[in-house]
Amino acid sequence: MKVSRKRKGNAEIPTASTGDIAFLLIIFFMATTKFDVKEGIKLVLPKASDSESNTVSVTLTEKEMTRMQILGDGSLAINTLPARRYENSELEALIKAKQELNPKMLFKVITDREAKYSDMVNVLDRLKSLKVENISLSTN
Amino acid sequence: MAKFQARKRDVTIPQASTSDIAFLLLLFFMVTTVFVQEKRFWVERDRWPVAENIERIPRNLTTTIYVMVDGTILIDDLPSRIETEEDRVVYTTLEKKKAENPDLNVCFRTDRDTKYGIMSDVMRQLQDANTLVVTFETQTKASGGKK
Repeated sequence: MKVSRKRKGNAEIPTASTGDIAFLLIIFFMATTKFDVKEGIKLVLPKASDSESNTVSVTLTEKEMTRMQILGDGSLAINTLPARRYENSELEALIKAKQELNPKMLFKVITDREAKYSDMVNVLDRLKSLKVENISLSTN
Repeated sequence: MAKFQARKRDVTIPQASTSDIAFLLLLFFMVTTVFVQEKRFWVERDRWPVAENIERIPRNLTTTIYVMVDGTILIDDLPSRIETEEDRVVYTTLEKKKAENPDLNVCFRTDRDTKYGIMSDVMRQLQDANTLVVTFETQTKASGGKK
């Protein structure tokens, strides 16, 4: 009797789609990757005053400096104006007017110890929104 | 005279190595990805103040100080308080960090209802340590922040 030998089948794993799979994985990683950055209001504090250093005290007039004092109840006293609460748009208009008066105007933010931190951040946010560069934050 | 006909060449771009390239790219992304895991959020994001004009700072230049509403200050997850002039934890820690990284940026994660006096005490110690660049971390309105 004649026994026919079984023909061997081709045992291959199809690899044509590996490239597609890899690219899909790359796209997935790229789409889900979130760059880890911190977001906030950046500020440079003034150097600590040292009695031995050659610090010179300068008196600034109202044309050169705007004093913004945040009180414990959230109200704001600007220069000699009586303290009151300001709407954001109102405060921005006031800062803009001061800037037009003197583009290099220094804004000194003084916050009472009892005032809320968020009130101080809000004032800084308004100043930053108008691209004010000369901001001084009082730490006394 | 015999007529010569130029044989047309097959113009194909070899694609056999695309999967290798793709896998190399994939490996690169996988190897360079760093998972940042905070041990604990001492002040949750929804308690941060809201601001619109924010800046983005790369994390590798920063160190985080948490200031809780009760006045507890956390640097490297170690709690401390500033009650007297002798409490100089912020100064001593930041002075060391500043020596290691001169471009250090101190990020505050402070509860929005914290009294400014505590922040003022912390910032005075930062000034003494000559760590002058600070960032007040905020959330945006878009991220669900409420004034």
